[in-house]
Amino acid sequence: MLTFLALASVVLLGIVPEQSQAIVIYTGWERHALVGSDIRLSCSFFSWRWTSEDVTFSWTYRPDGSRDSISIFHYTGGAAYVDNKGPFRDRLEFVGNPSRRDGSILIKNLEFSDNGTFTCDAKNPPDIVGRPSSVRLLVFEKVPIQAGVITGAIIGVVLGLLVLIVVIYYLMRFLVARRVFSLSVSKHGKKKKEGSQQRQGPVPPADPSKVAASAVTRG
Amino acid sequence: MIYRRIRKSPNAFSFQKATMLMLAGIVVLHITTIILLLVATIDNAWWVTDTVSTDLWGRWEMKGSVWHYTNLKDYPEEYLQTVQATSVLACIFAILALFVFVAQLFTLPKGQRFTFTGILQLIACLCVMIAASIYTAELHSTDKQGGYGHSYVLAWISFVFTFLLAITYLVLRKKSE
Repeated sequence: MLTFLALASVVLLGIVPEQSQAIVIYTGWERHALVGSDIRLSCSFFSWRWTSEDVTFSWTYRPDGSRDSISIFHYTGGAAYVDNKGPFRDRLEFVGNPSRRDGSILIKNLEFSDNGTFTCDAKNPPDIVGRPSSVRLLVFEKVPIQAGVITGAIIGVVLGLLVLIVVIYYLMRFLVARRVFSLSVSKHGKKKKEGSQQRQGPVPPADPSKVAASAVTRG
Repeated sequence: MIYRRIRKSPNAFSFQKATMLMLAGIVVLHITTIILLLVATIDNAWWVTDTVSTDLWGRWEMKGSVWHYTNLKDYPEEYLQTVQATSVLACIFAILALFVFVAQLFTLPKGQRFTFTGILQLIACLCVMIAASIYTAELHSTDKQGGYGHSYVLAWISFVFTFLLAITYLVLRKKSE
Protein backbone atom coordinates (compact mmCIF):
# COMPACT_ATOMS: atom_id res chain seq x y z
CA MET A 1 0.00 0.00 0.00
CA LEU A 2 2.67 2.44 1.03
CA THR A 3 4.87 1.50 -1.87
CA PHE A 4 1.94 2.01 -4.22
CA LEU A 5 1.37 5.48 -2.83
CA ALA A 6 5.06 6.32 -3.09
CA LEU A 7 5.19 5.14 -6.69
CA ALA A 8 2.04 7.11 -7.54
CA SER A 9 3.34 10.32 -6.04
CA VAL A 10 6.67 10.00 -7.83
CA VAL A 11 4.91 9.43 -11.13
CA LEU A 12 2.57 12.40 -10.57
CA LEU A 13 5.40 14.69 -9.59
CA GLY A 14 7.21 13.54 -12.65
CA ILE A 15 4.22 14.18 -14.93
CA VAL A 16 3.16 17.57 -13.61
CA PRO A 17 6.34 19.48 -14.42
CA GLU A 18 6.37 17.95 -17.91
CA GLN A 19 2.89 19.28 -18.66
CA SER A 20 3.10 22.70 -17.08
CA GLN A 21 6.28 24.07 -18.51
CA ALA A 22 4.21 26.82 -20.02
CA ILE A 23 4.26 30.13 -18.20
CA VAL A 24 1.09 32.24 -18.52
CA ILE A 25 1.49 35.99 -18.68
CA TYR A 26 -1.30 38.44 -17.82
CA THR A 27 -1.56 42.05 -18.85
CA GLY A 28 -4.59 44.19 -19.53
CA TRP A 29 -6.28 44.16 -22.92
CA GLU A 30 -6.67 47.88 -23.51
CA ARG A 31 -5.91 50.94 -21.43
CA HIS A 32 -7.33 54.41 -21.86
CA ALA A 33 -5.59 57.48 -20.51
CA LEU A 34 -5.64 61.24 -20.83
CA VAL A 35 -2.74 63.04 -22.44
CA GLY A 36 -0.36 64.36 -19.82
CA SER A 37 -1.35 61.82 -17.19
CA ASP A 38 0.51 58.77 -15.89
CA ILE A 39 -0.41 55.19 -16.58
CA ARG A 40 0.60 51.97 -14.88
CA LEU A 41 0.87 48.99 -17.20
CA SER A 42 0.57 45.83 -15.16
CA CYS A 43 2.15 42.50 -15.99
CA SER A 44 2.11 39.35 -13.93
CA PHE A 45 2.53 35.68 -14.64
CA PHE A 46 1.46 32.28 -13.46
CA SER A 47 3.95 29.46 -13.21
CA TRP A 48 3.94 26.08 -11.47
CA ARG A 49 7.49 26.66 -10.34
CA TRP A 50 8.60 28.76 -7.45
CA THR A 51 9.67 32.25 -8.43
CA SER A 52 13.34 31.86 -9.18
CA GLU A 53 16.01 34.45 -8.57
CA ASP A 54 16.71 34.61 -12.29
CA VAL A 55 13.20 35.73 -13.15
CA THR A 56 13.18 38.24 -16.02
CA PHE A 57 10.62 40.76 -17.27
CA SER A 58 10.89 42.64 -20.52
CA TRP A 59 8.62 45.16 -22.14
CA THR A 60 8.62 46.06 -25.82
CA TYR A 61 6.72 48.82 -27.56
CA ARG A 62 5.24 48.93 -31.05
CA PRO A 63 3.77 52.29 -32.13
CA ASP A 64 0.39 52.37 -33.88
CA GLY A 65 0.88 51.88 -37.58
CA SER A 66 4.44 50.62 -37.31
CA ARG A 67 5.64 47.06 -37.72
CA ASP A 68 8.83 47.33 -35.67
CA SER A 69 8.93 47.04 -31.95
CA ILE A 70 11.62 48.36 -29.70
CA SER A 71 12.62 47.15 -26.31
CA ILE A 72 11.97 49.62 -23.54
CA PHE A 73 12.43 47.76 -20.28
CA HIS A 74 14.29 44.75 -18.99
CA TYR A 75 14.57 43.31 -15.51
CA THR A 76 17.16 40.62 -14.88
CA GLY A 77 19.48 39.45 -12.16
CA GLY A 78 17.71 41.58 -9.58
CA ALA A 79 18.23 44.87 -11.49
CA ALA A 80 15.83 46.89 -13.64
CA TYR A 81 17.03 48.58 -16.84
CA VAL A 82 14.78 51.30 -18.22
CA ASP A 83 14.78 53.02 -21.56
CA ASN A 84 17.35 55.82 -21.66
CA LYS A 85 17.61 56.44 -25.40
CA GLY A 86 14.22 55.75 -26.91
CA PRO A 87 10.87 57.51 -26.84
CA PHE A 88 10.36 56.83 -23.13
CA ARG A 89 13.63 58.14 -21.72
CA ASP A 90 13.17 59.76 -18.33
CA ARG A 91 9.49 58.83 -18.38
CA LEU A 92 9.64 55.16 -17.51
CA GLU A 93 9.77 53.75 -14.02
CA PHE A 94 9.68 50.23 -12.69
CA VAL A 95 6.96 49.83 -10.03
CA GLY A 96 6.70 46.07 -9.93
CA ASN A 97 7.73 43.50 -7.38
CA PRO A 98 9.48 40.57 -9.06
CA SER A 99 9.40 38.37 -5.99
CA ARG A 100 5.61 38.69 -6.13
CA ARG A 101 5.60 38.05 -9.87
CA ASP A 102 4.64 41.65 -10.65
CA GLY A 103 6.48 43.30 -13.50
CA SER A 104 4.51 46.52 -13.87
CA ILE A 105 5.90 49.72 -15.28
CA LEU A 106 4.79 53.30 -14.92
CA ILE A 107 4.84 55.72 -17.88
CA LYS A 108 4.66 59.37 -16.91
CA ASN A 109 3.44 62.38 -18.84
CA LEU A 110 1.74 60.61 -21.74
CA GLU A 111 1.90 62.00 -25.24
CA PHE A 112 -0.17 61.26 -28.31
CA SER A 113 2.82 59.50 -29.85
CA ASP A 114 2.60 56.89 -27.07
CA ASN A 115 -0.40 55.27 -28.71
CA GLY A 116 0.54 51.71 -29.47
CA THR A 117 0.92 48.17 -28.22
CA PHE A 118 3.05 47.24 -25.20
CA THR A 119 4.13 43.62 -24.90
CA CYS A 120 5.28 42.03 -21.67
CA ASP A 121 7.40 38.89 -21.71
CA ALA A 122 8.27 37.17 -18.45
CA LYS A 123 10.53 34.18 -17.87
CA ASN A 124 10.80 32.13 -14.73
CA PRO A 125 13.67 29.66 -15.27
CA PRO A 126 13.35 26.76 -15.83
CA ASP A 127 9.80 27.68 -16.86
CA ILE A 128 10.49 29.64 -19.97
CA VAL A 129 8.03 28.47 -22.58
CA GLY A 130 5.19 30.94 -22.81
CA ARG A 131 3.44 33.48 -24.97
CA PRO A 132 4.02 37.17 -24.35
CA SER A 133 0.92 39.22 -23.62
CA SER A 134 0.09 42.61 -25.09
CA VAL A 135 -1.82 45.62 -23.85
CA ARG A 136 -2.98 48.39 -26.14
CA LEU A 137 -2.65 51.97 -24.96
CA LEU A 138 -5.04 54.67 -26.17
CA VAL A 139 -4.30 58.27 -25.31
CA PHE A 140 -7.20 60.73 -25.41
CA GLU A 141 -7.43 64.45 -25.24
CA LYS A 142 -10.55 64.14 -23.14
CA VAL A 143 -12.25 61.01 -21.95
CA PRO A 144 -15.03 60.20 -24.41
CA ILE A 145 -18.54 59.74 -23.10
CA GLN A 146 -19.82 56.32 -23.88
CA ALA A 147 -22.68 56.21 -26.30
CA GLY A 148 -26.02 56.30 -24.58
CA VAL A 149 -24.92 56.86 -20.99
CA ILE A 150 -26.43 60.32 -20.71
CA THR A 151 -29.48 59.26 -22.75
CA GLY A 152 -30.20 56.33 -20.49
CA ALA A 153 -29.59 58.37 -17.36
CA ILE A 154 -32.02 61.12 -18.36
CA ILE A 155 -34.75 58.69 -19.42
CA GLY A 156 -34.32 56.59 -16.29
CA VAL A 157 -34.38 59.54 -13.92
CA VAL A 158 -37.46 61.15 -15.48
CA LEU A 159 -39.47 57.94 -15.60
CA GLY A 160 -38.37 57.08 -12.08
CA LEU A 161 -39.52 60.48 -10.85
CA LEU A 162 -42.87 60.00 -12.58
CA VAL A 163 -43.42 56.61 -10.94
CA LEU A 164 -42.33 58.03 -7.60
CA ILE A 165 -44.72 60.97 -7.83
CA VAL A 166 -47.65 58.75 -8.79
CA VAL A 167 -46.90 56.32 -5.97
CA ILE A 168 -46.55 59.11 -3.43
CA TYR A 169 -49.79 60.72 -4.62
CA TYR A 170 -51.82 57.55 -4.25
CA LEU A 171 -50.10 56.75 -0.96
CA MET A 172 -51.00 60.17 0.44
CA ARG A 173 -54.60 59.78 -0.68
CA PHE A 174 -54.77 56.35 0.85
CA LEU A 175 -53.21 57.47 4.12
CA VAL A 176 -55.33 60.56 4.43
CA ALA A 177 -58.48 58.60 3.68
CA ARG A 178 -57.61 56.06 6.33
CA ARG A 179 -56.71 58.60 8.95
CA VAL A 180 -59.74 60.77 8.45
CA PHE A 181 -62.01 57.77 8.17
CA SER A 182 -61.15 56.77 11.71
CA LEU A 183 -61.78 60.34 12.86
CA SER A 184 -65.03 60.91 10.97
CA VAL A 185 -66.81 58.30 13.08
CA SER A 186 -66.99 60.92 15.85
CA LYS A 187 -67.48 63.90 13.52
CA HIS A 188 -69.86 62.09 11.21
CA GLY A 189 -72.51 64.78 11.24
CA LYS A 190 -70.09 67.62 10.65
CA LYS A 191 -68.49 65.95 7.64
CA LYS A 192 -71.85 65.28 6.01
CA LYS A 193 -72.82 68.94 6.35
CA GLU A 194 -69.59 70.02 4.69
CA GLY A 195 -70.27 67.57 1.91
CA SER A 196 -73.70 68.95 1.13
CA GLN A 197 -72.31 72.48 1.07
CA GLN A 198 -69.84 71.41 -1.56
CA ARG A 199 -72.50 69.98 -3.83
CA GLN A 200 -72.25 72.98 -6.14
CA GLY A 201 -68.56 72.34 -6.62
CA PRO A 202 -67.23 69.76 -9.04
CA VAL A 203 -66.92 67.02 -6.46
CA PRO A 204 -70.21 65.31 -5.66
CA PRO A 205 -70.38 63.62 -2.25
CA ALA A 206 -69.78 60.09 -3.44
CA ASP A 207 -68.59 58.60 -0.17
CA PRO A 208 -67.51 60.15 3.10
CA SER A 209 -63.87 59.21 2.82
CA LYS A 210 -63.53 60.84 -0.61
CA VAL A 211 -65.34 63.97 0.60
CA ALA A 212 -63.10 64.18 3.61
CA ALA A 213 -60.04 63.63 1.48
CA SER A 214 -60.98 66.41 -0.92
CA ALA A 215 -61.83 68.64 2.02
CA VAL A 216 -58.38 68.04 3.47
CA THR A 217 -56.59 68.60 0.15
CA ARG A 218 -58.50 71.78 -0.54
CA GLY A 219 -57.96 73.25 2.89
CA MET B 1 -94.88 57.02 -22.59
CA ILE B 2 -91.91 55.13 -21.28
CA TYR B 3 -90.08 55.92 -24.47
CA ARG B 4 -90.65 59.63 -23.98
CA ARG B 5 -89.51 59.45 -20.38
CA ILE B 6 -86.30 57.63 -21.13
CA ARG B 7 -85.35 59.42 -24.30
CA LYS B 8 -83.53 62.66 -23.85
CA SER B 9 -84.74 65.84 -25.52
CA PRO B 10 -83.48 66.44 -29.10
CA ASN B 11 -81.11 69.19 -27.97
CA ALA B 12 -79.47 66.93 -25.48
CA PHE B 13 -79.19 64.14 -28.05
CA SER B 14 -77.41 66.33 -30.60
CA PHE B 15 -75.25 67.60 -27.75
CA GLN B 16 -74.32 64.03 -26.93
CA LYS B 17 -73.50 63.38 -30.59
CA ALA B 18 -71.34 66.48 -30.63
CA THR B 19 -69.43 65.37 -27.58
CA MET B 20 -68.89 61.93 -29.10
CA LEU B 21 -67.54 63.54 -32.24
CA MET B 22 -65.31 65.81 -30.23
CA LEU B 23 -64.05 62.88 -28.22
CA ALA B 24 -63.31 60.93 -31.38
CA GLY B 25 -61.56 63.96 -32.85
CA ILE B 26 -59.39 64.38 -29.78
CA VAL B 27 -58.41 60.72 -29.77
CA VAL B 28 -57.60 60.80 -33.49
CA LEU B 29 -55.50 63.93 -33.01
CA HIS B 30 -53.68 62.32 -30.10
CA ILE B 31 -52.90 59.19 -32.10
CA THR B 32 -51.72 61.35 -35.00
CA THR B 33 -49.44 63.23 -32.63
CA ILE B 34 -47.98 59.99 -31.33
CA ILE B 35 -47.31 58.82 -34.88
CA LEU B 36 -45.66 62.14 -35.75
CA LEU B 37 -43.47 61.95 -32.68
CA LEU B 38 -42.42 58.39 -33.47
CA VAL B 39 -41.60 59.28 -37.07
CA ALA B 40 -39.61 62.31 -35.94
CA THR B 41 -37.60 60.24 -33.48
CA ILE B 42 -36.99 57.21 -35.65
CA ASP B 43 -36.87 58.34 -39.26
CA ASN B 44 -33.55 59.50 -40.54
CA ALA B 45 -34.11 63.03 -41.77
CA TRP B 46 -33.23 65.73 -39.23
CA TRP B 47 -30.56 67.32 -41.33
CA VAL B 48 -30.19 66.57 -45.03
CA THR B 49 -27.77 67.61 -47.67
CA ASP B 50 -27.35 66.22 -51.17
CA THR B 51 -25.18 63.35 -50.06
CA VAL B 52 -25.80 63.11 -46.33
CA SER B 53 -28.93 62.34 -44.37
CA THR B 54 -28.59 62.37 -40.64
CA ASP B 55 -30.71 62.14 -37.54
CA LEU B 56 -30.24 61.55 -33.84
CA TRP B 57 -28.86 58.04 -34.10
CA GLY B 58 -26.64 57.75 -37.18
CA ARG B 59 -25.98 59.17 -40.58
CA TRP B 60 -26.37 57.95 -44.11
CA GLU B 61 -23.62 59.05 -46.41
CA MET B 62 -23.62 58.56 -50.14
CA LYS B 63 -20.23 57.48 -51.39
CA GLY B 64 -20.15 56.84 -55.10
CA SER B 65 -23.91 56.31 -55.52
CA VAL B 66 -24.07 53.81 -52.67
CA TRP B 67 -25.50 54.78 -49.29
CA HIS B 68 -23.45 53.88 -46.22
CA TYR B 69 -24.68 54.00 -42.65
CA THR B 70 -22.10 55.40 -40.26
CA ASN B 71 -21.86 56.67 -36.72
CA LEU B 72 -22.42 60.30 -35.94
CA LYS B 73 -19.21 62.24 -35.73
CA ASP B 74 -18.22 65.76 -34.82
CA TYR B 75 -21.21 66.16 -32.57
CA PRO B 76 -21.06 67.51 -29.03
CA GLU B 77 -21.86 64.27 -27.26
CA GLU B 78 -23.74 65.66 -24.27
CA TYR B 79 -26.16 67.68 -26.37
CA LEU B 80 -26.78 64.86 -28.80
CA GLN B 81 -27.58 62.43 -26.01
CA THR B 82 -29.86 64.96 -24.34
CA VAL B 83 -31.77 65.40 -27.59
CA GLN B 84 -32.04 61.62 -27.94
CA ALA B 85 -33.30 61.23 -24.38
CA THR B 86 -35.88 64.01 -24.55
CA SER B 87 -37.32 62.93 -27.88
CA VAL B 88 -37.69 59.35 -26.62
CA LEU B 89 -39.27 60.68 -23.42
CA ALA B 90 -41.72 62.78 -25.47
CA CYS B 91 -42.88 59.65 -27.31
CA ILE B 92 -43.23 57.73 -24.03
CA PHE B 93 -45.23 60.49 -22.34
CA ALA B 94 -47.53 60.97 -25.32
CA ILE B 95 -48.34 57.25 -25.41
CA LEU B 96 -48.82 57.22 -21.63
CA ALA B 97 -51.16 60.20 -21.90
CA LEU B 98 -53.33 58.34 -24.38
CA PHE B 99 -53.69 55.35 -22.09
CA VAL B 100 -54.33 57.54 -19.05
CA PHE B 101 -56.96 59.47 -21.02
CA VAL B 102 -58.83 56.31 -21.92
CA ALA B 103 -58.57 55.13 -18.31
CA GLN B 104 -59.78 58.46 -16.96
CA LEU B 105 -62.74 58.40 -19.33
CA PHE B 106 -64.08 55.53 -17.30
CA THR B 107 -62.82 56.24 -13.80
CA LEU B 108 -63.00 60.01 -13.43
CA PRO B 109 -65.86 61.38 -11.34
CA LYS B 110 -68.30 63.42 -13.39
CA GLY B 111 -67.53 67.08 -13.89
CA GLN B 112 -63.82 66.78 -13.21
CA ARG B 113 -61.01 67.77 -15.51
CA PHE B 114 -58.54 65.37 -17.10
CA THR B 115 -55.66 66.86 -15.20
CA PHE B 116 -53.36 63.86 -15.15
CA THR B 117 -53.67 63.38 -18.90
CA GLY B 118 -53.12 67.08 -19.44
CA ILE B 119 -50.02 67.09 -17.27
CA LEU B 120 -48.52 64.08 -19.08
CA GLN B 121 -49.23 65.67 -22.43
CA LEU B 122 -47.71 68.93 -21.23
CA ILE B 123 -44.54 67.11 -20.20
CA ALA B 124 -44.41 65.48 -23.63
CA CYS B 125 -44.76 68.92 -25.20
CA LEU B 126 -41.95 70.24 -23.02
CA CYS B 127 -39.69 67.35 -23.97
CA VAL B 128 -40.22 67.82 -27.69
CA MET B 129 -39.56 71.52 -27.30
CA ILE B 130 -36.32 70.87 -25.43
CA ALA B 131 -35.21 68.32 -28.01
CA ALA B 132 -35.92 70.47 -31.03
CA SER B 133 -34.49 73.61 -29.40
CA ILE B 134 -31.21 72.01 -28.40
CA TYR B 135 -30.91 70.49 -31.85
CA THR B 136 -31.47 73.84 -33.48
CA ALA B 137 -29.14 75.74 -31.20
CA GLU B 138 -26.19 73.43 -30.80
CA LEU B 139 -25.97 71.02 -33.71
CA HIS B 140 -25.47 72.07 -37.31
CA SER B 141 -25.40 75.72 -36.35
CA THR B 142 -22.30 76.33 -38.45
CA ASP B 143 -23.00 74.10 -41.44
CA LYS B 144 -23.23 75.96 -44.71
CA GLN B 145 -24.80 73.31 -46.87
CA GLY B 146 -27.99 71.46 -46.43
CA GLY B 147 -31.21 72.05 -44.57
CA TYR B 148 -33.52 70.56 -42.02
CA GLY B 149 -35.28 67.42 -43.09
CA HIS B 150 -38.84 66.27 -42.58
CA SER B 151 -38.24 64.62 -39.21
CA TYR B 152 -37.16 67.97 -37.81
CA VAL B 153 -40.26 69.66 -39.21
CA LEU B 154 -42.47 66.91 -37.81
CA ALA B 155 -40.89 67.39 -34.40
CA TRP B 156 -41.95 71.04 -34.33
CA ILE B 157 -45.43 70.21 -35.66
CA SER B 158 -45.90 67.62 -32.97
CA PHE B 159 -44.81 70.24 -30.42
CA VAL B 160 -47.74 72.42 -31.53
CA PHE B 161 -50.16 69.49 -31.47
CA THR B 162 -49.10 68.29 -28.04
CA PHE B 163 -49.45 71.80 -26.69
CA LEU B 164 -52.99 72.13 -28.09
CA LEU B 165 -53.93 68.71 -26.76
CA ALA B 166 -52.54 69.51 -23.33
CA ILE B 167 -54.59 72.70 -23.13
CA THR B 168 -57.65 70.75 -24.31
CA TYR B 169 -57.24 68.10 -21.65
CA LEU B 170 -56.71 70.64 -18.93
CA VAL B 171 -59.80 72.59 -19.92
CA LEU B 172 -62.11 69.71 -20.79
CA ARG B 173 -64.46 68.52 -18.12
CA LYS B 174 -66.05 65.14 -17.96
CA LYS B 175 -69.65 65.65 -18.73
CA SER B 176 -71.95 65.69 -15.71
CA GLU B 177 -75.56 64.53 -16.22
